[in-house]
Amino acid sequence: MSGIKASSLNLRNKFGDWWEGANAAQRTIFRIVVIGVFFALPMINNPIIDTPETSFTSVLFYPLIMFSLMAIGLNVVVGKSGILDLGYVAFFAIGAYTHAVMSIHTPLNFWEILPFAMAFAMLAGVILGLPALRLRGDYLAIITLGFGEIVRIVAVNTEAIGGAAGITDIPGPSSVFGIEFTVMDPRTYYWLTLTLLLLVIWGVLRLSHRKPGRAWEAIREDEDVAEFMGVATLKYKLWAFIIGGAVGGLAGAIYASQIRSIQPEMFTLNLSIMILACVVFGGMGNIWGVILGAVILGYIPEKLRFLSDYRIIFFGLLMVVMMNIRPNGLLPRQKREKFQEKSK
Amino acid sequence: MTKKLLEVQDILVNFGGVTALNKVNLHVNEGEIAALIGPNGAGKTTVFNIVTGYYTPTSGNVIVDGESMLGLRPYQIARKGLGRTFQNIRLFGDMTAVENVATAADSLNKSGLVGSLFGVPRSRRDEAASMEKAHELLKFIGLEHRALQMAKNLPYGDQRRLEIARALALNPKVLLLDEPAAGFNPQEKVELGQLIRKIRDRGFAVLLIEHDMSLVMEISDRVSVLDFGQKIAEGTPAEIQNNQRVIDAYLGVAEDAS
Amino acid sequence: MDFSILITNFWSLGLDGIVVGAIYALISLGYTLVYGVLRLINFAHSEIFMIGTMSAYFVILQFGFTGYEDPLPLLEFVGIFLLLATVSAIVSGGSAVLLEIVAYRRLRIMKASRLSSLISAIGASFVLVEVFRVMTDSKNLDFPRLINKDPFFTWGTLYLSADKVLVIVGAAIIFLILNRIINHTKLGLGIRAVSQDERTAILMGVNVNRIISYTFLLGGVLAGVGSAFYMVFYETTKSNVGFLVGISAFTAAVLGGIGNVKGALYGSFALGLVQQYTSAVLGYNWRDVVTFVILVLVLLIKPTGLFGEALQKARV
Repeated sequence: MSGIKASSLNLRNKFGDWWEGANAAQRTIFRIVVIGVFFALPMINNPIIDTPETSFTSVLFYPLIMFSLMAIGLNVVVGKSGILDLGYVAFFAIGAYTHAVMSIHTPLNFWEILPFAMAFAMLAGVILGLPALRLRGDYLAIITLGFGEIVRIVAVNTEAIGGAAGITDIPGPSSVFGIEFTVMDPRTYYWLTLTLLLLVIWGVLRLSHRKPGRAWEAIREDEDVAEFMGVATLKYKLWAFIIGGAVGGLAGAIYASQIRSIQPEMFTLNLSIMILACVVFGGMGNIWGVILGAVILGYIPEKLRFLSDYRIIFFGLLMVVMMNIRPNGLLPRQKREKFQEKSK
Repeated sequence: MTKKLLEVQDILVNFGGVTALNKVNLHVNEGEIAALIGPNGAGKTTVFNIVTGYYTPTSGNVIVDGESMLGLRPYQIARKGLGRTFQNIRLFGDMTAVENVATAADSLNKSGLVGSLFGVPRSRRDEAASMEKAHELLKFIGLEHRALQMAKNLPYGDQRRLEIARALALNPKVLLLDEPAAGFNPQEKVELGQLIRKIRDRGFAVLLIEHDMSLVMEISDRVSVLDFGQKIAEGTPAEIQNNQRVIDAYLGVAEDAS
Repeated sequence: MDFSILITNFWSLGLDGIVVGAIYALISLGYTLVYGVLRLINFAHSEIFMIGTMSAYFVILQFGFTGYEDPLPLLEFVGIFLLLATVSAIVSGGSAVLLEIVAYRRLRIMKASRLSSLISAIGASFVLVEVFRVMTDSKNLDFPRLINKDPFFTWGTLYLSADKVLVIVGAAIIFLILNRIINHTKLGLGIRAVSQDERTAILMGVNVNRIISYTFLLGGVLAGVGSAFYMVFYETTKSNVGFLVGISAFTAAVLGGIGNVKGALYGSFALGLVQQYTSAVLGYNWRDVVTFVILVLVLLIKPTGLFGEALQKARV
């Protein structure tokens, strides 16, 4: 285990050294290449990476890129700010249901509904956050868990939004730039989500390297002391919730538009836990680690289908093991001591 | 007329059945180094916690530069001009030294999330100002070479000084130091004394909780003594050292106290 | 909202509330005791309870009852029940001790952050639920009817049946024993010492690790006994039974004042009663929502609960 740790650290250091030495042009090229690779993924038709039972492109969309997006959102709350949110699925559900309901009952199309989906999820973040964020960690965690469950229970018991049967025949996004979004082809959804993911990453990085990021981390490190240092902790915690909610709602709306029918049982506590596992496994607070975690934890149960039934056991064990052995995750938020200021 | 930058008026603090502070009156004047001493459990850190808004007193008032702090939350009081350090060092361990200080410096500007995200001019200026101030303070305190190191990896002495730099970033009217010399050897204590004087000369008033009597007596202008939640004496270091009540309660015979 | 049911059945609902409260109390004591010594909510305690129900089911399975026989004669029932309770107590207690060692101990020694401990606890909780879900194939496991539940005493709409008496009397006995342990034994003294001030307890020579293990054991045993009562009363279980029962028991502990044993008792009975009465008025579906609302209200308004002292600031 320490061998892996050492070699991954080596790899990381080597990369860090290169990155530090590289100039702006080299860095941009690197970024373009990496992004290009991710865009090209659906084109790969290789039996080695293929997943049994579901097509690889389908897996790319869900869970891989969907988990990545949600993990980034949850990371702002849990990883960066240290707030344990066990009900993240609620934002996902709200986004999904908003799209489902509005696309059927209003003349708006997917793109026009998207802001609403995010807005409602953000509102939910505020409604949950205002009372809950005044509480200490364990209690807050339980409240968030309850919130996630309540959203699901409300969905089940509200006939107006489909009740237990859910909503079907949800339209997909209308075509944009000539690109059609059909049920058969998950690739367009994947690319759409990837684009939005990049946008979200950009936004989160910008915030992380400035005042908000510092405020969040201070809150995570020692909330009382953060207050003593003038940080308006409640405001920033609320913002973390709002951003987490926005991203979750975004993911939910896209998901509903792809899968075309949703039921309350899709939005369970288990999903919250899986996303949390991605954040924990990947490296709390570290965006790249979180994506890595999402990709690994999304891909492995699909690739090794026999694991699928035991997926939750796997995730749960992972959480226990990670906390005990490597609480900072695969890629801990290790600030590069030398290059930190240059790359902003 | 010397301006009182910090006033603790008739503070009464009851925790459950215990009276932690019993009608305590203290003040810190502009430009002075004041000390608060007393046996363990006398309530010194409680004074800091009350003054910075962490606890609400059962009765009494706290006034900073003429403004009452009652009912304000700690972060508001911090912005009004009280910066503090802690008995057990409480840095933001997984953040770099400069980030630690910048976090406090950030509190002085009004930039918010939206501004930071979209890079509006004011946010950019505020960001640059925070970082510049953080670096400047690190230089002032002698930690510039540690700027990009994680706070948790710093040696003990540097951590203590970093805490001071962080508190200074708030532009405090009064700097509250809670046992800043703990764990220092005599040489380091001398340097700390010089640092505190340097801080005072830069315009900050200082209120110091300390157990090291030689340091206290050396640099303080005025000393208040707390025992069992009550102020039992106040005066110049010389007066305090000769105060029988203080000797009985705390100092013992002069030679022992150090 | 239908108040008529509430009014006509006031006493019988009250009785049921006490019965349910007694079961909650046995579980909530586990939460409160562990919180007292660790300042940590043992998320996986609900699964310790679930494991107790599973072992009770397993024991009964060995007897080959099909549930269609006549209920057992009293003496035989008592014997079998004691067996159930003992086995469940041992299994739950042992599971709790193991849980502490695997999921919590190392983090405590490493002085890991609260967040880490919580995540580890949640992970453990999920593993346990899923393992049993797979083992039971997600099915409901039904208990045979072991005791004659016909009411042997009625008073208006109040029906007193043997199973209710069993729970109430049995729980009362357990509480008396627990009180003895907490207040009159060395172990109890150790637990109280560590709960109040761990550092001083260490200085006084208390072996904190052992006390913590014993606390988990005690909480587990109580939950195990509670699970035996639960199975006789409700006659069914499944892998995720811990979730809702746990939320109720936890809410009861918070209501009474977490960390406070007396509080856990009062909170449990209070919650049991509130649940019964609100179910009568609002319908059964809303019972858990009501429980949750109570939890939120207590945490926001009086986080120390009815009897708790500010062990630690619940509000930030």
